[in-house]
Amino acid sequence: MTGQTSTNWMPGWIQRVWIVLKKELRDHSRDRRSLTLALVYPMLGPLLVAGGLLLAGKTLQGDFREHAVTVPAVGVEHAPQLKTYLENNNVRFSAAPPTRQAQEDAVREGRLAVVLIVPQSADGQGAFTIELLTNTGRVDNLRVTARLSAIVRGFNDHIADQKALAAGLPAGYATAVKIARTNVARDANIAVFFYNMVPPLVIFMIFLGGVHLAIDTTVGERERGSLEPLLLAPVERWVLLLAKALAALAFTAVTTVVNLGAFRLFMGLAASSSERLVAPPGWDVFAVIFAVTVPLMAIAVALQMSVAVITRSMKEAQIYLGLLPLAPALPGMVMVFSPMNPTDVTVAVPVLGQMLLINQLVGEQALDPQHVLIAALTTTLSAALIFLLAAKWFRREKMFVLG
Amino acid sequence: MIEIENLTKRFDQVQALSGLSLTAQDGRVTGLIGPNGAGKTTAFRIVYGLLAPDQGCARVDGVDVAEDRMLAQRQLGVLPDVRGLYPRLSAREHIRYFGQLHGACGAALEADIDELVTRLSMGDFADRLAKGFSRGQELKVALGRALVHRPHNLILDEPTNGLDVMSSRAVRELIAEMKAEGHCILISSHIMSEVSLLCDDLVIVAEGRAVASGTPDELRTEAGADDLEEVFVRILARTSAKAEVAQ
Repeated sequence: MTGQTSTNWMPGWIQRVWIVLKKELRDHSRDRRSLTLALVYPMLGPLLVAGGLLLAGKTLQGDFREHAVTVPAVGVEHAPQLKTYLENNNVRFSAAPPTRQAQEDAVREGRLAVVLIVPQSADGQGAFTIELLTNTGRVDNLRVTARLSAIVRGFNDHIADQKALAAGLPAGYATAVKIARTNVARDANIAVFFYNMVPPLVIFMIFLGGVHLAIDTTVGERERGSLEPLLLAPVERWVLLLAKALAALAFTAVTTVVNLGAFRLFMGLAASSSERLVAPPGWDVFAVIFAVTVPLMAIAVALQMSVAVITRSMKEAQIYLGLLPLAPALPGMVMVFSPMNPTDVTVAVPVLGQMLLINQLVGEQALDPQHVLIAALTTTLSAALIFLLAAKWFRREKMFVLG
Repeated sequence: MIEIENLTKRFDQVQALSGLSLTAQDGRVTGLIGPNGAGKTTAFRIVYGLLAPDQGCARVDGVDVAEDRMLAQRQLGVLPDVRGLYPRLSAREHIRYFGQLHGACGAALEADIDELVTRLSMGDFADRLAKGFSRGQELKVALGRALVHRPHNLILDEPTNGLDVMSSRAVRELIAEMKAEGHCILISSHIMSEVSLLCDDLVIVAEGRAVASGTPDELRTEAGADDLEEVFVRILARTSAKAEVAQ
């Protein structure tokens, strides 16, 4: 006689869930696709964001006064006073291409950021026009052009003040309004822009992490013919689906841990490369983000299971579930550019609630516990309802029979 | 004992079963034979609780499958036509998984698995992952999976389909042993020589109902032919003729 189970203290259905869950975890821990999705894919988003942050830190956050810039120039000797002023402001000059056409081509093709042209007619003149050949389609060109324009505006103010003083007028006489900028956002604002990309990318990965497992254990089993033998075992259908959903949830959780860890690690490294970039939120904040996303993982898996059980083939399921992560991630991308504030109503919307909370956490704002509770309850409840629907569909005869 | 009583089942436009009845007794091998699409697999699926009948009922050791599917399944071992193995589990893990699903565990289960590995000659591949198994190896794993909970009743759908001579013989020997142990065995096969060798009782199914039943000798007498294949062909032809007259 076969032995009886040693976990008799557990209700029978929990024992059966545990048996199927263990099998799915063992099976998929040997599957290269599941492991790649869980362990490698979650690294890609963080690497991309950290790479962008590193590049932006170097490209956009340079200090005009501390770093010299070399500008290809033509005829700068015709305006010696301007030349001296620019040199005093850390501008160096190099030879420009010989012809106008070559200069324009070099700027257009990105070989040169800008070309400064001082006309011969400027020689000995108090007022003249200089030309900056630039390419507004390139961020690095904009940076140099903006810097040169700012220095030239400073030169104009300087000359205007000199002329006013020479005429016995107060400095600033020729300039009606001067602008003094005070940047309260610290120089780190560009880093914050990148950190705001974290929520939609985290949500994207949550909807992707367990997708292969969800497909493989449902419609995949049916396609391979292994679902029919499984259904011959004396196990409730909903128990089978619950165990498979829990396995997908476990893989999603691993994916999310790797994703969040990689974000914190890579962004921290990128931010530490420049003193002018603020560090990302701490590991403790990322731990809270993980906790906030648990209901999100549940609804992601419930949606995956429900789609997987109604599709006819793995290929069909892959098409639908490949698109699924885009739906919740898109509002997040919109919020990168147009932030939304959480209210009792907005956090009650499943998925959106978590997105708003993660945005707050990434922005290092304190969470309202009521918002956390509302978001967790509505999303978890929605996940449960979607799962019940999937379980109902899983009982259909069409689910079991090939063809 | 497996009892099928007046089963009716329809899929959209297809009438798969039209009042099929049969009984498979303990200690005997009952063969269900019929052309493709006759309703054999549908009948099996109703017996093992995968499909619900539109009318009629199926009982396993007196348990109505529709009323208590899980109790009926505990008394039933099934070898489906599609073996359906998990490519990333070993043969032993397959058998252990299904043993656990039937409520077994621990040393007793491991002893049962060892016994099945020996009985089915799986020693050389028991701990290999199923990916790349031959059809014979797949069949042995599927048999181990079906037998691990020591069911009293067995349903074997095309048990030797695609097997080589040696593997087919091994399966036939296993079926004979199980029969001698008093198990109720219901098989479906297209191989008449196999049916002739194995079956004590035959049920010929056509268009979703039993058109003839009895021992092989009784059917030979009824059809007036010695060769079982010829018996099968004559009975089907007679059934078609009757159906045309009725129309």
